[in-house]
Amino acid sequence: MSADDKVRHPDEDLVRSALGGDEGAFRDLLERYKRRAYGVALGIVGDPDEAQDVVQDAFVKAYYKLSNFRFGANFYTWFYRILVNQAIDRWRKTSRSPTISFDDAWVSGETSEPGAMVYPKTPEELAGNRELAEGLTRAIAALPEYHRTVILLREVEGMAYEEIARVLDCSVGTVMSRLHYARAKLKDALKGFRER
Amino acid sequence: MECGETRQMIQDHIDGLLPPRVSEKFREHLGGCAPCASEEAELRGVGDLLRLWSAVRVEEREPQLSALWARVGAGIEERRKPWLVPLLRRWFWLPAAAAVAVLTLLFYPLNGSMAPFHPKSFDVTVESLESDTATVALVDKGEELPRVIWIIENGNT
Repeated sequence: MSADDKVRHPDEDLVRSALGGDEGAFRDLLERYKRRAYGVALGIVGDPDEAQDVVQDAFVKAYYKLSNFRFGANFYTWFYRILVNQAIDRWRKTSRSPTISFDDAWVSGETSEPGAMVYPKTPEELAGNRELAEGLTRAIAALPEYHRTVILLREVEGMAYEEIARVLDCSVGTVMSRLHYARAKLKDALKGFRER
Repeated sequence: MECGETRQMIQDHIDGLLPPRVSEKFREHLGGCAPCASEEAELRGVGDLLRLWSAVRVEEREPQLSALWARVGAGIEERRKPWLVPLLRRWFWLPAAAAVAVLTLLFYPLNGSMAPFHPKSFDVTVESLESDTATVALVDKGEELPRVIWIIENGNT
């Protein structure tokens, strides 16, 4: 769905139509947000299949909770709250090793010596660099769940602190401290890939 | 601006939270301080890399994501089914409720003008015969109307 579609059919109009029984309108909302939702879910649960299940369950749940949506609010903020809760629940249920230390993650990842690589600038470059992509996946997984969620919502989704606070039902101060911690941790973890 | 102060502001700067004048001083400091500039670039790079990572991982999943609606639609239907069962169960009450309504209307019609089956409206003569084992009642509504005979034996009609 293009940006034009979003202008022509704002989220609220689609929600209104979906509430009136138009399943096609709900499908349009899904098409609009499924990729972003998957990116967030994957960052939280770590596994692609689990992430897809989370996205699927979140959309089903959203469909049945649509009458709770308050017009005037952002649909995606409302939806992300469902998504993130679903993802965190799933991660807690399925995670076999919820507390991975950063050192362990990098040792077990057999990364190369510090300074071996230069950061990629495009998705294609990163896709071609499996070591870095997998290393980043492990580094994200090693973050505590709420730190992981905050940095994904901020850096990948570009959400404002206030929006993240609404999604996670916490204060803006908490969002800021979690974000600063997560950024610093990931920066340290990625140091080996940056230099040289 | 000192290095220590600058380092504490880096993340706020990345998120665009510094006031314009502070931001200007911050950038001035970065221009003349390689370690602080490097720290800022590394922290900013985390966000850039995460966005690339997300784009790559979503792209890898595109075939499955293109069929997501089919799965979600099935999930919606699946979840709808459990609601049907209690609804169907509720339907079983309908015949009983209808029967009660019909009987009520027969004996207590809404307009109050007629009550064809109410015993009080019967213009009849009743004769009772009693025996050792039963009570027999004859209800006679007239010559051309049927005669009703009630036999009550041991408490049963």
